[in-house]
Amino acid sequence: MDLSLPLTQELDTLVSRLKLRRCRMVGALPTVLGRVWIHGEGEVCVGTRVVLDGRIAPIELHAQRGGRIVLEDEVTIEWGTSIEAQACVTVGARSRLGAWCKVMDNQYHPLRGDRHERPSSVPLVIEEGVRVGSRVILLPGAHLQKGASVAPGTVVSRRVPAGAAVGGWPARMIRQEVAV
Amino acid sequence: MTALPFPARPASVLAQFSEIRAQLQPRAQRAVGMVRAQWLFRSCLMGWGVSAHGHVRVNNQGSMELGQKLTFMGGMLPTSITCHPDARLTLGSHCHFNYGVSLEVWDSVLIGARCMFASFVRISDRDGQRTAPIIIEDDVWVAHGAILMPGVRLGARSVVAAGSIVTQDVPPDSLAMGNPARNMSLDLVAREPGS
Repeated sequence: MDLSLPLTQELDTLVSRLKLRRCRMVGALPTVLGRVWIHGEGEVCVGTRVVLDGRIAPIELHAQRGGRIVLEDEVTIEWGTSIEAQACVTVGARSRLGAWCKVMDNQYHPLRGDRHERPSSVPLVIEEGVRVGSRVILLPGAHLQKGASVAPGTVVSRRVPAGAAVGGWPARMIRQEVAV
Repeated sequence: MTALPFPARPASVLAQFSEIRAQLQPRAQRAVGMVRAQWLFRSCLMGWGVSAHGHVRVNNQGSMELGQKLTFMGGMLPTSITCHPDARLTLGSHCHFNYGVSLEVWDSVLIGARCMFASFVRISDRDGQRTAPIIIEDDVWVAHGAILMPGVRLGARSVVAAGSIVTQDVPPDSLAMGNPARNMSLDLVAREPGS
């Protein structure tokens, strides 16, 4: 770690580390503004230069027993976003999650039958360089490939190919990456 | 008889403690939640066993009637329940409310038994243009971030998908999804998550 940082920045990093004390692993130079609510018995791993902005509403990171949330390097998450992992949620490097997003890898209740038993969960992957707008809901089975972008208010439960833009609910393709 | 090595005893004691805590903590939380609910819903007609595990903003100027064994979860944002003058809100028994639910009543909202409301669901029977009562029948599951518009009737055992905006009636045993919500029969929706 670079020790020639200004004192205020070092203090901010220290406070951010204090807020991320429930994480299993924290990379260098985290920035946490406002509140982060990390709970559950699973593990949360955070990469380097992660920015969590919880000034307007808290950010929830909920890894349940046996669950795992991985935020890779330089991920930015805005306020009100809630990530819930029953199995595994991965957010790739340099991606950005907007405000009030919901990311979950389990539906928690089956559509039919006894509503209190829990269905099996599907690992959710966000690859690197993905831009997710505000109020987006990522349901189990969502797989955002490299460089995809999701318009605000979209609900995604499938694979989004690399470089594509999707929007709407039900989600449809807005723009596909032009082959180079 | 040889004494146990020193670290072994605290470990077993700790394990016992955590076991006892795992058994007792839900009951203690439920007891605290029931006491909190008695205070929060003091202006409402309430059945027994209502518990609030987090903060609930209750603003009751009309008449609110709560059933038995309701559960209000706590979390990032408080649940808010607003009942305007001369409005009538009826909640059936065994309903579950996750955090951040916003329930605003101007005329009448009727919610059946065993319903489930996920986080950030918005229910309001006035949208600026019209005021019409909302009726939610038994065993309905409304998923995260759904919005129910005024004058909607959700049939028994139906499901509202996450983020949907329900503008029309939903028949019983069906899934409403999309913006605006389209209905499909639950018998036809057999897709496993992620397939």
